[in-house]
Amino acid sequence: MIPLQLKVQTAAHAEPLVFRLRNDEHATDILTGKDAVLKSRSGHLAYYDLDGREIQVALPPGETCGNDVVMVLPGRSTAHRLIRSASRHNTLLVTEQCDQLCVMCSQPPKASHNDLFRPFFDACLLAPREAVIGISGGEPLLHKARLFDFLFMVHLNRPDLHFHVLTNAQHLEETDLDFLRQLDQSKITWGVPVYASSAEIHDRIVGKVGAYATLQSGLTILAKAGARIELRTVVLRSNLGALGALARTIATRFPYCTVWAIMHLENIGYGRKNWQLEFADTSTDFVAVKAGIDVALAFGIDVALYNFPLCTVPSNYRIYCCASISDWKQKFLPECDHCIAQHTCCGFFEWYPEDRGFERVQRL
Amino acid sequence: MSIWPLQFRWLGQSEYLFSNDSGAFFRSDERFLRRYTEERLTEEDYQFLSDHDFAFSDVGDAPFLGHAYHWMKRLNTAAELNYVILVPTLRCNLTCDYCQVSRAAETAKGFDWTESDLNLVFRMLSEVKGDSLKVEFQGGEPLLRLDLLQAVRSFVRERFKHAEFVVCTNLQSVSKEAWQFFESPDTLISTSLDGSPDLHRKLRTKSPDAHDEFLSNLGRAMAQFGPERVSALPTLDVNDLPDPAEFVEQYAELGIHSIFLRQVNYQGFARKVLRQSNSTSWYQFYRSVVHYIIEKNHCEDLAMEEFYLSHLLRRVIRGGQNNFVDLRNPNWLGIDYIVIDFDGKIYPTDEARMLSRVRHIDLAIGSLQTGLDQQKLWQLNQAVSNFDDPDCAHCVYRPYCGLDVVDDLSRYQRVDLPRHMTHHCNKHMTLFDYAFELLYSESPVVRSSVAKWLGLTSLPDNLCLVHK
Repeated sequence: MIPLQLKVQTAAHAEPLVFRLRNDEHATDILTGKDAVLKSRSGHLAYYDLDGREIQVALPPGETCGNDVVMVLPGRSTAHRLIRSASRHNTLLVTEQCDQLCVMCSQPPKASHNDLFRPFFDACLLAPREAVIGISGGEPLLHKARLFDFLFMVHLNRPDLHFHVLTNAQHLEETDLDFLRQLDQSKITWGVPVYASSAEIHDRIVGKVGAYATLQSGLTILAKAGARIELRTVVLRSNLGALGALARTIATRFPYCTVWAIMHLENIGYGRKNWQLEFADTSTDFVAVKAGIDVALAFGIDVALYNFPLCTVPSNYRIYCCASISDWKQKFLPECDHCIAQHTCCGFFEWYPEDRGFERVQRL
Repeated sequence: MSIWPLQFRWLGQSEYLFSNDSGAFFRSDERFLRRYTEERLTEEDYQFLSDHDFAFSDVGDAPFLGHAYHWMKRLNTAAELNYVILVPTLRCNLTCDYCQVSRAAETAKGFDWTESDLNLVFRMLSEVKGDSLKVEFQGGEPLLRLDLLQAVRSFVRERFKHAEFVVCTNLQSVSKEAWQFFESPDTLISTSLDGSPDLHRKLRTKSPDAHDEFLSNLGRAMAQFGPERVSALPTLDVNDLPDPAEFVEQYAELGIHSIFLRQVNYQGFARKVLRQSNSTSWYQFYRSVVHYIIEKNHCEDLAMEEFYLSHLLRRVIRGGQNNFVDLRNPNWLGIDYIVIDFDGKIYPTDEARMLSRVRHIDLAIGSLQTGLDQQKLWQLNQAVSNFDDPDCAHCVYRPYCGLDVVDDLSRYQRVDLPRHMTHHCNKHMTLFDYAFELLYSESPVVRSSVAKWLGLTSLPDNLCLVHK
């Protein structure tokens, strides 16, 4: 696993420190106060200078962390690698609060909120060109005004950046349209989960009565704002039989979505707790997923399969699989050794339970 | 709850097809039709209509927006010029019986672009706003002026980010330089291949030697460039149709899996030489060919198609398929594509060029020298939308169909004939009937072909709705 936090030592500070690690002190584009410049190394310890402040960073084995943007909170001795320059998988966790309790949640909510929009803004300004930055939670739209300001201000300074915002679309009002239309929607993808087109099934899965009705109105608001919408459906035993009907509803009612992502369960958080109940082994029975895909494609809706290892999918559906699992939590199994498809495969989550997972995993 | 207005069509027995403006459709029966028209819908009817978004509760709610989006997706919005048909010469080295343009003799003078015409073409193309352009070289036989093709291709590649070239050639006489010209991946070949070797020889190549030369060139093109870059279109005389099986096999053997069944378009020489069409035998032939393709796909696990039928099916199920310029709604003329003739005149379609050439009606919309005649364009574009047509407004197939002003002018010298009296309408009613018959077929053999035509692995069970 790629560590997302680094051990650091530096003098006390009152505000979060956000800076970029620069390993070449002769670079011509060093930003004073923003770039920490490497002065010396001793083993895995690297000593940086940030405008007079000395920072000692313990680098992980095999990584230089060059151009990574990190954040050190006051009183802590860890640096969060907010934006790893070598990765396509950078996500900012803007809150841990949520109004839903989804059965597969990988990041169960917490009651308290620590507002980090300001350091996140500083971090985005230091991101590599054209970077894609994930915004996740919790439910980011619980802090809607702050989030909208953040997106607007970042784009004002860095119009090249792309955002992928995960939201349950429960907190959008018609009155948000003015602001949503001011955002550069061509550079933002809104990832919105929908688990079934039956309110009863969807509401039970997300643990909130009335969620499906609110979700529908939230989607219409995003659509009216011209947003790029990625609908996301985690395959569960609770909704497996409903995928065909859901596909039809997406095609007729939400045809403006850019893509429908069908996703596999992640064995962490509530997903771990409910794994026995909810994990659907699509490696032995792909019929329900196939039904969904066929309907969506027939109506011209683009489909993507996330977290489906290639060998678990029938060969003529593999073209829809994406290497979706973030590098830092991706692993391969012993069966994957010498598999010719490894470089295009999503692989497995670090916490994937081999003894309770797909029955059919094989080298291709 | 408000129900979007439904159009309907009798399918035989007590079966009816229903559709609304978004193109959503279902099949039901006469009893439902009566309940609908007499405003006696039952709870079950309302449930079905609301489950499948044939109704909405509030303006702007999710079902409303879905409907609006589908409606919009089916619109052909007027785009920037992105497709030009160029006729650098009207001269040809064949004398096909049904030649559509009253071609000029190979040695005739004054039927090619001049140097100054070419420069005017460049000037016109340099004013195009978009960054992609498709160029189709027509004739005459464009290969007679390979030098002009080369000049245009170089210019367009330089000027546009994305460029594609189609050479519509009879492949009769292909020089070494022409083969080199075809080698670029951005250049496609479109040729003619009529019903059977006998027919092709009789109608086009005339002499056995010339015919062998054509076949050898087509073989070489297929072997060298494959079906992705070579298409061969038949032009069929309804009074002299080939055997459907032999016809399909001829294409299959060449590796051509998409066949576009086209009747001779009675214009130019064709109008003088051939008799009026017999639509019954044409559609019998059409169905036999499609049926043969379906069986062949099943037995040999192929994905052959009749192009137009596949295109109609995609328009029905998906909408937004506006890449085929003869069937769009509204079918704006002289806006996103134009035809530039050998003499510098500009036409809205290739058919309009032919009509004008045979002095049937002057449909020129300008010239390289004078630019586009906006007044005439405006007039032509008055009747290009089936939203405004009093007959189309009631048609169950309206969302998938379109109008063809030029075809109406060609056949009837007017654009306001009641729709059911026009060739265009009859043809499309017949073909859409057939498309829906196939969509609702329960035969696994048929369903497997329909799936392939829609680009699917298999046809989902709940694709086409039935309400009883």
